[in-house]
Amino acid sequence: MKDRVLIANRGEIALRIMEACEELGLDYVVVYTRPDEESLHVRKAKRKYRIADYRDPNELLSVADEAKCTAIHPGYGFLAEDFRFARRVVKRSRPLTFIGPRWEVIRDLGSKLNVKRLAKELDIPVIPGTTEPLYNEIEAEARAEELFEWLRESGEEDPRLLIKASAGGGGMGIEEVRELEEVRPVFRRVRAYAKRLFGDEGVIIEAKISRFQHLEVQLLGTPHGELVHFGTRNCTIQSPGRQKRIEIAPGLDPQFVNYSFDADALLAEIINHSLKLAEAVSYDSVGTWEWLITPEGRAYLMEVNTRIQVENEISAKISQVKSQTVNLIKEQIRIALGDKLRYQQKDIHFSGTAIELRLVAEDTQRNFKPLSGTITRFSWEKHPWLTVRTHVPQDKPYTIPTEYDPNLALAIVWGKDTKEAQQRALVFLEEVIIEGKRSQGEPLVTNVSFLKNKLTEILRFPE
Amino acid sequence: MAIDHLKINQLLQRLRSRPYRIYEVKTPHTGYLREFLVKEGTEVKGPRGKWREIPGTPLFTLEREKNLKTIKARVSGTIHNLRTELEGRFVEAEEVVLEIRHPLSQEEVISEFLRETLILITAPETARYLLAPEIEKRIRKEGLGKVFVKPNEEILIMSFMKRETPIVHTGETMVIFRIFFTPQEVVTAGEPLLGLCLQEEVPYLERVISRICEEWPEK
Repeated sequence: MKDRVLIANRGEIALRIMEACEELGLDYVVVYTRPDEESLHVRKAKRKYRIADYRDPNELLSVADEAKCTAIHPGYGFLAEDFRFARRVVKRSRPLTFIGPRWEVIRDLGSKLNVKRLAKELDIPVIPGTTEPLYNEIEAEARAEELFEWLRESGEEDPRLLIKASAGGGGMGIEEVRELEEVRPVFRRVRAYAKRLFGDEGVIIEAKISRFQHLEVQLLGTPHGELVHFGTRNCTIQSPGRQKRIEIAPGLDPQFVNYSFDADALLAEIINHSLKLAEAVSYDSVGTWEWLITPEGRAYLMEVNTRIQVENEISAKISQVKSQTVNLIKEQIRIALGDKLRYQQKDIHFSGTAIELRLVAEDTQRNFKPLSGTITRFSWEKHPWLTVRTHVPQDKPYTIPTEYDPNLALAIVWGKDTKEAQQRALVFLEEVIIEGKRSQGEPLVTNVSFLKNKLTEILRFPE
Repeated sequence: MAIDHLKINQLLQRLRSRPYRIYEVKTPHTGYLREFLVKEGTEVKGPRGKWREIPGTPLFTLEREKNLKTIKARVSGTIHNLRTELEGRFVEAEEVVLEIRHPLSQEEVISEFLRETLILITAPETARYLLAPEIEKRIRKEGLGKVFVKPNEEILIMSFMKRETPIVHTGETMVIFRIFFTPQEVVTAGEPLLGLCLQEEVPYLERVISRICEEWPEK
């Protein structure tokens, strides 16, 4: 029987999964909520169902049964890294294929603390901090005191700690403290926030590495034991809320920036460490290993994302398998449906630099406040080096739903080297037109100017 | 606050001439609409009891993932526009299934009056809202109509696009007289969240509320 995929997500990722299914010759069904009615993922889908909430497994499974789906693609966010959902999908009376890793892998790598423990067992470096969730503020203060002392002893002049929701992610539920006296009130706030947003009030404390670059390693494994990587990415340019705004592949470029360390050796080191951990857990889908790199060339593993990432396409743009371009979403679906990889690491070749720009309706002058409103005009010039992913229609006004992040589009630019990719990204930002109005009538602003400014800083350590 | 007596009288007159509201009953989620439990013209009741512990009249059953759920009336009134063609079919979320013509209660009339009379803090965005923890604690302890909010005091928290933003009271010191929202439920931009008044206006408001209670006795 031909497989039919339920696309359990929205916006641009739903569109990319739809495209991948079409190219693989698979049927698909789309779900949407009332505020998303005008999204292109709804307009373009032939078969669609309105549901109450993308986060409700009952809604997704009810539609999957009604539409006779055989597999579920969770996209990113929502239920993509919820091992209970993945387990339910495969263990129910009418089982479906979960397009992602095995639920046990999601469970084991979904906990940052467990990843830390696993990494330590394999001699993979991790950021100093707690390895168990804290629930008690007295204990939190004691751990914080130890970490402040460690940072001072390491020569840090302005030591700071990060207090995080242990079940958090995507930059949510993280606060910074500079003094021991701040620890208790911040701990209480993060704990309350964690309880409200993630349903788990566990909190972790980590040393804050003040100057760093945020790197990622893109891996692909299969249930047949095959495992390859698609290089690295640099996601250092983020909003103050630690949400990524510009990503570059590869993660470091010694032809573009002078580093005080051997950049190629460091990239090889984080790739090898990532592969080692993936092999240890028999990783069997696409996944991202997130790293923090210091100006001295030290690398620390931060976490593993057991899903397709927003930024996966820049890795695909610089990779070729046997002279063919790669689509990681297609690879993810193909592998989940039982296919073999049919190539090895030596068949993957890398060329050029790819940059992704995330266009967001946000006021960068007012602490990156997310904005709602109506987009009245959205257009850009077409170029062979440019791919734009968006769920925002170009032929009619579009009201940004307030239930979700105000992401408008991803622009992916390729160049033969970093300099060319950077120049092309700037050309795109000069040419793109986004106009709209806020609910009170004033013009809608976006982060285009911020992206232009930050393009000059790519691949460099922040001052 | 300049209380507009003429406006208040006009409002009460309008409510007297059209003392009901139409509520659409929609499916809360997807599933099979198995059976209608009411007919066109059936009189239904909303939740009752001191703690609303007595559920409303069952309207229809909806089955999803082998769980049968009975959808009950959330307001009292008369059934209209029953979509019988949906029986036995798979329905999407938020599908309109029927309407209830609901006679306004004393409490609802009071709410309408206060919306027109109080200084309203409205939702700046369509988002979820919470009372600031300190305000919530004081209201729980002292009750509405007794808690003061000072200039620049954090009064609400807006949970918008997954971020929490405090909302600060910008006016003079006032009394929180009414809460118009349910915490964690989505409030549409422009809808009232809180109703404030000056301390000296509290007795007048209480007098008008007494008048409404006489005109619209609790049924």
